[in-house]
Amino acid sequence: MSAALLRRIVIVGGGSAGWMTAAALSSLLDPKDVTITLVESDAIGTVGVGEATIPDILAFNQMLGVSEAEFMAATQATFKLGIEFVDWGAKGERYIHPFGQHGVDMQGIDFHQYWLRARDDGAREPIEAYSLCALAAQAGRFALPDPNPRSVLSQIRYAYHFDATLYARFLRRYAEARGVVRVEGIVGDVRQGADGTIAGLTLRDGRTVEGDFFFDCTGFRALLLGETLSTGFVDWSHWLPCDTALAVPSEHAGPPTPYTRATARDAGWQWRIPTQRRVGNGHIYASAFQSEAVARETLLANLDASALGDPRRIAFKAGCREAFWRGNCVAIGLAAGFLEPLESTSIYLIQEGISRFISLFPRGDIPDILRTEYNRHMRTEFEQVRDFIVLHYAATTRDDTPFWRYCRTMTLPDTLLHKIELFRETGRVFRYNDELFARPSWVAVMLGQGIVPAACDPIVATLPAGDVAHSLASMRQAMAAAVERMPRHADFLSRYCPAVAA
Amino acid sequence: MAVRRILVCGDGLAAQMALTALARQVAPDTAILWVRAGDQRDGDLLYGSVTGPSAYGFNLAAGVDERQLVLGSDAAFSWGTRYAAWGAGRSWMQAFALPFPVIDGVVFHQYLARTGAGGIDPYVAGLQAARRGVFVHPPREAGGQHPLARAEYGYQVDPADYAALFAAARPADRVEVVEGAFAGAEVAGGRIAGIRLDDGRMVTADLYIDASGPAAVLGSGAPDGRRIGMAVRNEAGADEAPLRTVTATALGWQSATPLKGRTLHASVYAPDRPDEGALGRRVEATLGRRAQPWVGNCVAIGQAAGVVEPLTPAPMLLLERDIERLLSLIPVTDDCAVEAAEYNRRFADDYDHADLFQRAFFAVDGLPDGPYWDAARAEQVPEKLARKISLFGNRGLLVAYDLEPFHPEDWIILHLGMGRRPRRYDRLADRADKAQVAQFLTGMAREIERAVETLPPARVYRQQLEQFLRKAAS
Repeated sequence: MSAALLRRIVIVGGGSAGWMTAAALSSLLDPKDVTITLVESDAIGTVGVGEATIPDILAFNQMLGVSEAEFMAATQATFKLGIEFVDWGAKGERYIHPFGQHGVDMQGIDFHQYWLRARDDGAREPIEAYSLCALAAQAGRFALPDPNPRSVLSQIRYAYHFDATLYARFLRRYAEARGVVRVEGIVGDVRQGADGTIAGLTLRDGRTVEGDFFFDCTGFRALLLGETLSTGFVDWSHWLPCDTALAVPSEHAGPPTPYTRATARDAGWQWRIPTQRRVGNGHIYASAFQSEAVARETLLANLDASALGDPRRIAFKAGCREAFWRGNCVAIGLAAGFLEPLESTSIYLIQEGISRFISLFPRGDIPDILRTEYNRHMRTEFEQVRDFIVLHYAATTRDDTPFWRYCRTMTLPDTLLHKIELFRETGRVFRYNDELFARPSWVAVMLGQGIVPAACDPIVATLPAGDVAHSLASMRQAMAAAVERMPRHADFLSRYCPAVAA
Repeated sequence: MAVRRILVCGDGLAAQMALTALARQVAPDTAILWVRAGDQRDGDLLYGSVTGPSAYGFNLAAGVDERQLVLGSDAAFSWGTRYAAWGAGRSWMQAFALPFPVIDGVVFHQYLARTGAGGIDPYVAGLQAARRGVFVHPPREAGGQHPLARAEYGYQVDPADYAALFAAARPADRVEVVEGAFAGAEVAGGRIAGIRLDDGRMVTADLYIDASGPAAVLGSGAPDGRRIGMAVRNEAGADEAPLRTVTATALGWQSATPLKGRTLHASVYAPDRPDEGALGRRVEATLGRRAQPWVGNCVAIGQAAGVVEPLTPAPMLLLERDIERLLSLIPVTDDCAVEAAEYNRRFADDYDHADLFQRAFFAVDGLPDGPYWDAARAEQVPEKLARKISLFGNRGLLVAYDLEPFHPEDWIILHLGMGRRPRRYDRLADRADKAQVAQFLTGMAREIERAVETLPPARVYRQQLEQFLRKAAS
């Protein structure tokens, strides 16, 4: 490690994490200066299932410079405008957590305060009636955002559903074209230097791979950061008790919806992620509260159409590594930590892990301050996402199963508890600056799951009722009219990015 | 029980700003009472003589629009502060600015680092205008394409005069002025039960705002930071330059703030070593903040919550934030526990983050020796500041914390102004063609230079604006 520059980067493990890392690095580094090697084995499966994302992925694709239509066609992708939550706050209830915001803030006061005020005056429209993304999702329509900020359509925010295995394949083509070398093989031994940093890998067939810097993309196993460098795991399973997923694709029963669905079940929840050709399904549950047989039965009984194959079982534990960067090794993806995909954050956390690394791109000597900063930032990211996911379990009146009784009464992280209390009182939202899930997201989930403020903001309370009602009605009409004019999601897809044969 | 009566206690800038903002923003059926307490005229000097760009929006929300300020006060427009002789021959202009352009996902100063251009001065429009002493309102139309579109301005003010502006701007009948003076507070069960007046009467309210300056007549637990002294005097002058000047001296620092028709001179020094050359009104204070400005049904704002050295616009920024934070958290019932927790959290963050910016001024070499400077340097560099400085120095990276009162652009200008140059830059900046980057930078500097050449001196602009406003009003 005496070299002034990192010359050899080694990525261990493929999958979304490995190939996203390879693609991002290869888009920035010249193969003449830095070699990038990715070691993976076809014999080791990846956890690739139907994957849902959040709008930040657009920035990642932009950084790579890939064409959206081409990427979507290659990965069977559909558009996503938000997530529909079913049976969370109480059985029989549903709401949409849309991308983008609700309504328009007026006079410096948050829109949801106006909505609360109108509700006090007797209005019954849900807050979703003021979200363009939620309305379009319900109507099965989609259009790209209008760059003109005056247009209602400028409020559209979107992400994608895609097939994670195809995504990894797409990124592999991209990365290999830019000089990334793929080595097929299984790691037998990790060799460490005298200072404890990683020096190289010996594969089972005896070949060796040397490197200056290593990315651990080995999934839950965390071969480098966990097993070799003995980095501990911070266990959050007392807040997020689900520990098993059963995943199975199924046929479509209708055109693909432009939203993800998450339905609460007796001991967990079930996802439904529509890609162009099929639907990804999965049941995430807590094995302490439900047997695998029952969980499997629940999953198969709740598909749109017939299953394509047998459900695959994946075990996990909620939490993250005590550090994400030790020595000359950074863990990305599941090796860094796992939070259930209730808010589609898996790809985002991979992306953030990579882009933070790039902004801190070290020389060969790697000063400690870079590791400290990286670890601090990533830990905050994980904790903030964790709090937002825990909110979904905590904000419920369900007590129909032991699982929900546990969730309803568990002790919450202080940061989350404070947020809930503040909102419950007058609908105020605890402010943090660079939180991934901003105010509209917290408002959507808290209102959607029955945390309704006792009163609205005292300042909004003094406005004339007629004025408030009038403003809200015109917003609603403008949005409804805009949705009418949007194309159907399925039609848009078939014109814009029809799937290519895999 | 609902909050129906809010009582403000104090008699200075903080009380006037709070009363006017409350009068404008709380429900008409909530009574606003005002009890004069103490005399903060001298203490108010410690709020300093500059506001940040946030004053425009704060004032507007309080019902004080800029026309009133131009016609009814001695305030002058301000592009920022020039710091001179700040150690090792250091001197730079800390101008206000909107965020710098982000090009292809990479922040502006990374391209500066890449081309080795060094300073940022030629690209900060307000700074170039300040250099020439000229002013116009930054043109925001034309899609932000005007060379001055990213300039920002604040005000140069005299705290007493600024307080009078706020007092005059609120409807006379909205605030109930309680006759008599503050004599003491009755406390029961950790809450204020009422205010005793000098004639023996009691006044009660549901929420009490302590705006009585460092004395904090309703609070307890004074801050324990270092002590400073300050002397302030006026001098006639028609210069009205749109910038304040701060110069380091052996005893501390001196500032000159041009206002309408006069210049406010201030000296700050260690209390036992006054600047003998500085005549005028004197005041001393202990710097630092309270741990919990909101306790029970009482909220301390401004200097009653914390005293900040007026080296930057920080004291005014924090006073504005105290009032805004209070307005956004006016409780609905008299159980204020949830609001208090959130208020105290945000207060501590805001104050400590403003403090990072001020402490950065002392984290450079070559500053004078002497009691003032030794005391300032003796304070430990907080870990958060060390991280900001080290990551900027390493690779031009800006570490930002939640909702800092000073923005990334303030920090960029400060770091570069102090002569700090990133050792490496963001690899992403390499994607752009080097010649194109150089061409872009040259073009940007040229456009700004051309635009400021044609602008009127700040005094002339203000006089014409005043004439126009008077004509429009008549």
